[in-house]
Amino acid sequence: MIKLSISLLAATALLMFNACSDSSQTKKEEATTYKYNNAQVYENMCVNCHGKQGEGVAELDKNGKPKGPALNKQEIYELKLAITDIKNGGLNQSSGTDHEIMEHNYKAIKKKGMDYDTDSMAEYIYNTFNINK
Amino acid sequence: MTHYNANDELLETLIEHQNEMSRRDALKFMAISPVAAATLIGTTTAATEAIASDAKGKIVIVGGGLAGMSTAALFTRKLSNPDITVIEPDPKSVSYQPGQTLVGGGVWDAADIVYNRDDFVPSGVTLIKDKVVTFDPENNKVVTAGGLEVAYDYLIVATGLVLDYAAIKGLDGVITSSSDDNQAVKAKVGKNGVYSIYFADGAADTWKGIQELIAQAKAHKGPEKLQALFTHPSTAIKCGGAPKKIMYLAHARLEEAGVRDKVELTFLPNGNNMFGVKEYHDAILEQFKTRGFKWLYKHNLIGIDTDTKVATFMKHWLEKGEWDPILEEYEMNLRSENVDMKYDFIHITPPMKAPSEVANSPVGSGKGWLPVVKETLQHVKYKNVFGLGDIVAVPMGKTGGSVRKQYKVLVDNVVAAMEGKKELPAAYGGYTVCPLITGLGTVMLAEFDWSNKPTPSFPLDPTQERWIWWMLKTKALKPMTVYGMLSGRA
Ligand SMILES: Cc1cc2nc3c(=O)[nH]c(=O)nc-3n(C[C@H](O)[C@H](O)[C@H](O)COP(=O)(O)OP(=O)(O)OC[C@H]3O[C@@H](n4cnc5c(N)ncnc54)[C@H](O)[C@@H]3O)c2cc1C
Ligand code: HEC
Repeated sequence: MIKLSISLLAATALLMFNACSDSSQTKKEEATTYKYNNAQVYENMCVNCHGKQGEGVAELDKNGKPKGPALNKQEIYELKLAITDIKNGGLNQSSGTDHEIMEHNYKAIKKKGMDYDTDSMAEYIYNTFNINK
Repeated sequence: MTHYNANDELLETLIEHQNEMSRRDALKFMAISPVAAATLIGTTTAATEAIASDAKGKIVIVGGGLAGMSTAALFTRKLSNPDITVIEPDPKSVSYQPGQTLVGGGVWDAADIVYNRDDFVPSGVTLIKDKVVTFDPENNKVVTAGGLEVAYDYLIVATGLVLDYAAIKGLDGVITSSSDDNQAVKAKVGKNGVYSIYFADGAADTWKGIQELIAQAKAHKGPEKLQALFTHPSTAIKCGGAPKKIMYLAHARLEEAGVRDKVELTFLPNGNNMFGVKEYHDAILEQFKTRGFKWLYKHNLIGIDTDTKVATFMKHWLEKGEWDPILEEYEMNLRSENVDMKYDFIHITPPMKAPSEVANSPVGSGKGWLPVVKETLQHVKYKNVFGLGDIVAVPMGKTGGSVRKQYKVLVDNVVAAMEGKKELPAAYGGYTVCPLITGLGTVMLAEFDWSNKPTPSFPLDPTQERWIWWMLKTKALKPMTVYGMLSGRA
C-alpha cells in the first residue's frame, strides 16, 4: 500500500516534471504533407467565395446572402483562430463554432484532396492579401 | 509524444496494485499524501532551477488568480531584483476552481476549495487590492477603480474570464467564479431546480439540488420520467469538460440512491460533438451510451422561465441549398428555431467572455479576448504586454493545466525581453488537460494540444476511465496546484 501511494506521488511528480521539460517545445500540427500548396488551394477553392484579393464575394446567392466574407482585413491571429476553429470543428469540447457553413465547406474541400495546414494557410492569406499591414 | 521512460517501473507497480487494493484503505492512506506531494514537487523542480537573471524592470500583473499569482511567484524565483506588483480585488482569488465540480457532486465540502489571496502573495511582491478599470498601453500604465495610476515596464494580463449569466434571458448577473459578489445570479440560480457549478457558491447549491432531485425521484410515481438537462453554451468556456463531469456525477448519485430509472438525463450542447479530439469524442459517446444518457447537439440555451420551469434553446441546423459544382457539394444555409423544454433539474454552464475592462480597452480585441501570439504569449500589438490564462485568445486552453504550461513560457519570454534579447525563446504548444470525471471513482485523463491528438503523459491508453486518475484528481492535483503552482514550483 505504501508502495502504491509513493507511486502515485511519483506519477504526479512525473506529470509535473514533464510539464517542465517540454514547456519550451512548440508542437506543430502533425507532420502531414499536403498535396497542394496554399496558393493552389486558395486559387482553386477559396477564391470562389472569398475573392481574388481576399476581398470577399458580395454577389448574392439564391438565398440573398453574399457568397463569402472578406478575409483581407483580418489580423493574423484572427485568421489562425478562425481557420483552426473551422478545421477542428470548434476550439472547445462542445461549444461548436460561428462557422457552421464554412465547416461544411471545409469538409468538402478536404474530400477533394485540398487539405491544408491551418497556421500556414493563415499566414499565406495574411501575407498575400491583408490591406492594413 | 513519448516522454515517460524515466519512471516506467514505478508506474507499473502503480498499475498492478490498482486492482488489488481496497479502495477504502487507499483513500485513508492517500489522505496524508498532500504534504508529501507538495514536498516531492519542491524537490523535482529544484534541480531544473536556472540561475536568476539580473534584468531590471517594473512588472505589473493584472489579476491575481491562478495564472497571475503563479506567474508572480515564478518571477521572484527567476529575477534577482524582482519589482513586481499584482492587482487583484477578490480576497478569495486563489480558490481552487477545479474543485467546484467535486463540491457540486458532493465529494468535497465547500470549504475544501477556499484559499485566501493574502496567504499566497509571494514574498517581495506588492499587492494592490483593487480592480483595473483602464488600460493605457500607449503610456505604459493602468488605472484602478480607486483612481490609482500604476506605471509599468512590462504588463501581464491575467484577468481570467467572466460568467455571463445575464446573457440568458430570465437570468441576471455577470460574475467571476470565486468572488462572493454574486447575488444577482443567486436570485434565480441555486434553487428551484436551477443549478450551476461554475461559481463556488453555486457549486455548493448544486449538491443540494442533486439531493433534492433524488428525493423527488424517490417520491415520483407514474411512467413519465423526471427531466434533468445539462447545457453547454456557444462561447469558449473554461474547463470544457465540466458541463459533462457534473452530469456523470449526478448520474452516479442517482444510481447510488437507486432511482436512476426515474430520471432522464439529457446533454444539450451548442456544438455538434463531444470533443474536438476524435479519440476522446468516440470514448465519451460510448460512455454516454453505457449510462443511458440522451444528447441533443446544436441546442444553445438562450432563456429560462424559472416559474414554469421551461428552458428555451435555440436549435440550429444546416439546410441543403444549391449544388456547388466547384465544391462538388451542396451549399448550406443556416436555419434555427426556438425549442422549449420542461425541466425538473437543469445544470447551466453559462456563456463566458472577457471582462469588459479588458474587452473594451486598447489591449482587447473585437471578440474581447486578449490577442496574443499563441506561441510566445506576447500581445500582438504592444510588445511589452503579455497575457496568459483564461483571458487569452488562443485555440483550446482555458484550464489550470494550460496555465501550468503557459506561465513558464511567459516568464522565460518576459525575462528574455527584459534582458534585451530580440528572440523570445519559449513557446507554448497548446497543451490542455481535462480530467474528465466519469463516475464516483473513475476519471478519463484527456490530455491534448494543438496537434488535435491525444498527448498522454503516461504509457496508458488515454481513452480509458481509470481509478488511478480519480486518485490524481481528488488527491494530488489540488496540492500540486495550490502549493506547487502558486509558489512557482510545479
Ligand atoms: C467548475 C470549474 C471546473 C474546472 N475544472 C478544471 C479542471 O478540472 N482542470 C483544470 O485544469 N482547470 C479547471 N478549471 C479551470 C481553471 O480553474 C482556470 O482555467 C484557471 O483558474 C485560470 O486561471 P486564471 O488566472 O486565468 O483565471 P482565474 O483563476 O479566474 O483568475 C483571474 C483573476 O483576475 C481577477 N480580475 C478580473 N478582472 C480584473 C481586473 N479588471 N483587475 C484586476 N483583477 C481582475 C479576478 O478577480 C480573478 O481573481 C475549472 C474551472 C471551473 C470554474
Ligand atoms: C462555397 C463558398 C466558400 C468556399 C469555397 C470557402 N469559403 Fe470560407 N467562408 C464561406 C462563408 C459563407 C463564410 C462565412 C460563414 C461561416 O463562417 O460559416 C466563410 C468563412 C470563412 C472564414 C471565417 C471568416 C471570419 O469572418 O471569421 C475563413 C477564415 C474562411 N472562410 C477561410 C476559407 C478558406 C481558407 C477557404 C479555402 C480553403 C475557404 N474559406 C473556402 C464560404 C466559402
